[in-house]
Amino acid sequence: MSTLTELGTLDVLEAEAVHIIRECAAECQRPVLLFSGGKDSIVLAHLAIKAFAPAGLPFPLMHVDTGHNFPEVIEYRDWFVEEIGERLIVASVEESIATGRVQDETGPRASRNRLQTTTLLDAIAAHEFDACFGGARRDEERARAKERVFSHRDMFGQWDPRNQRPEPWSIYNTKLRKGEHFRVFPLSNWTEMDIWAYIQREGLRIPSIYFAHEREVFVRDGMLMAAADCVERLPGEEVFTETVRFRTVGDATCTAGMRSDAATVEAVLAETRTSDISERGASRADDRTSEAAMEDRKRGGYF
Amino acid sequence: MPVETPILHAVAVGSVDDGKSTLIGRLLFETGHLTADEIAHVEEASRKRGRKGMDLALLTDGLRAEREQGITIDVAYRSFDAQGRRVLLGDAPGHEQYTRNMVTAAAGADVAILLVDAKNGLTDQTRRHLAICAMLGVHDVIACVNKIDLVGYDRGRFDEIVAEILAAAAAVDGPRITAIPLSALEGVNITQRSAATAWYDGPTVLEVLHDLDPKVGEHEFRMPVQWVIRHDEGGVDVRGLAGRISSGTVHVGDEVVALPAGRTSRISRIDVLGDERDHASAPLSVSLHLEDDLDVSRGDVIAAAAHPTRVASRMRATIAWLDEVPLTVPARLEARQGNRLVPVIVEGLHERLDLATMTQVPAEVLEANDLGVATLLSAQSLAVEPYETNREMGSLVLVDPGSNRTVAAVMVREVLEG
Repeated sequence: MSTLTELGTLDVLEAEAVHIIRECAAECQRPVLLFSGGKDSIVLAHLAIKAFAPAGLPFPLMHVDTGHNFPEVIEYRDWFVEEIGERLIVASVEESIATGRVQDETGPRASRNRLQTTTLLDAIAAHEFDACFGGARRDEERARAKERVFSHRDMFGQWDPRNQRPEPWSIYNTKLRKGEHFRVFPLSNWTEMDIWAYIQREGLRIPSIYFAHEREVFVRDGMLMAAADCVERLPGEEVFTETVRFRTVGDATCTAGMRSDAATVEAVLAETRTSDISERGASRADDRTSEAAMEDRKRGGYF
Repeated sequence: MPVETPILHAVAVGSVDDGKSTLIGRLLFETGHLTADEIAHVEEASRKRGRKGMDLALLTDGLRAEREQGITIDVAYRSFDAQGRRVLLGDAPGHEQYTRNMVTAAAGADVAILLVDAKNGLTDQTRRHLAICAMLGVHDVIACVNKIDLVGYDRGRFDEIVAEILAAAAAVDGPRITAIPLSALEGVNITQRSAATAWYDGPTVLEVLHDLDPKVGEHEFRMPVQWVIRHDEGGVDVRGLAGRISSGTVHVGDEVVALPAGRTSRISRIDVLGDERDHASAPLSVSLHLEDDLDVSRGDVIAAAAHPTRVASRMRATIAWLDEVPLTVPARLEARQGNRLVPVIVEGLHERLDLATMTQVPAEVLEANDLGVATLLSAQSLAVEPYETNREMGSLVLVDPGSNRTVAAVMVREVLEG
């Protein structure tokens, strides 16, 4: 039995996240945890397991699979679900395309980023989910910095940033009408550094693409994109081999790698600490389309 | 740096255009929390709007409508390190119309950074924010007399405004005030002193945030139960009472009482997220096991048996009304308190704070953004305490059962009989 140690930032953030997860599980009828196999959703799933241990999770996990994910991440996802012995629902963008719910984009800049929203909202409606846990953090992006912990979505999945419910103290208004749902963000107050420090402290395994490895890449808009089969290259986009790691992990069509030799959690922490570029600035093509790209996608029901 | 608060919750408040967003941008910039791409983004966005230089407000005014109108509509939260201490800073909107969002930002804050325009002095909105902070139990206020460069760094003007702030603070039950002459635009006295205010020998904003020892008045052990974790341990059905400790410390062997029912038992095991300990303190999330098999469920409160909370259904409370539809009494609403949701009736409205005179005046109705005092009756008995004794046991949120809107933030002043 251990004695009390001095409380640190991570202890407080962990306690807050667990409090939010338990509140949602108790108040909502059918919650689901959105799990992508990215570092934030891994930390979130780990916290959820801790919140209810030694009993199991009172809700399933769900992955919105664009069909353009990195194979290492899908492999990790399947290993993780097997390891924790919980249920995973896969909502497939491929299927949404096959059934005519959405039209696949074509050409070198094609991305399924926007299509995911329809797949996600369809799955929420089909399973009658009334709350989706997400791993989003306020330090990621300026629209996210504005969002509540229990963030209300109307029947159309829309976020109304000008009319959010007041959320004083840590008392959450969890009342909904039928067809509406919440996005719930237990990691709201964590930073990128906190996530890495927590992965280190808890000894969490994460997908290999977060660490330095050799990969075939090409340069687009100044970013190193993986030369994946699902990405059509423009003339002049030559493929070469580089030692890279990924700072965020999304769809291969919109996630860029960075030149790095950091092969361990310690090395990643050291590199992140001194980085002069933000997480999304370094790796996300999807935020560069306009000044309010994230807000606009969130209004439409995106993660 | 006090160890009990590894994360300091701060909120920037004050009138519109007094420079809150700019100050936060400055703080992030000067503490090295802005990356090259974020700075490039702000530069580009500033150019697009025809601003001279970098408009740092564009960092936190992240919504399309905010950028179009050049105002803050909702709270933005940003984290930074003040010389090793984590600060979570909420940038509250200054417009009266968005006071509900300011209440969200200020509830639970340890310290408020209040901005006042050195040229214009205090406004009604400055006084309203100060009053709300005082009622929400924000005991420390860093009063920044901003745009001091526009009054020629004049000490006389600074002293004049500080006197006004102290008078306004005294009228609302006096939070601790640290006053600083500031220029958010020029970066004066934020993280570094400036020769321009050589007459000022007090701390910078960053120093105050680092050194601040928040007044914690809550010592008795309380934990609202969120969830009962049941599992089978060698044929025995074991029940862990899961929740976050809201105040105090609990030890194995302590006698506790389950409220509102009032049955007592002793703590047999403390599980801190998989780590078994002999004691645990606020604000940890834990699972507690009792020696006796009491009927305890979500919404009940586990408290120190020797120092329980009050159990009552009638209370006198301060109401911050947040909804566009005014409050008239009697009103049938729902209250969320601790982890309970109970029907309540707002029985009587006694008075309202008049911001022009800073006095309580008789009231029949509370409009959006009004602060008033009323009597509440709940359908079931609650484990409740005055807000100033225990924030978590003394705070309620009112919800309109028709619209599902969050209509009020409530702070219990006095627990009544009956």
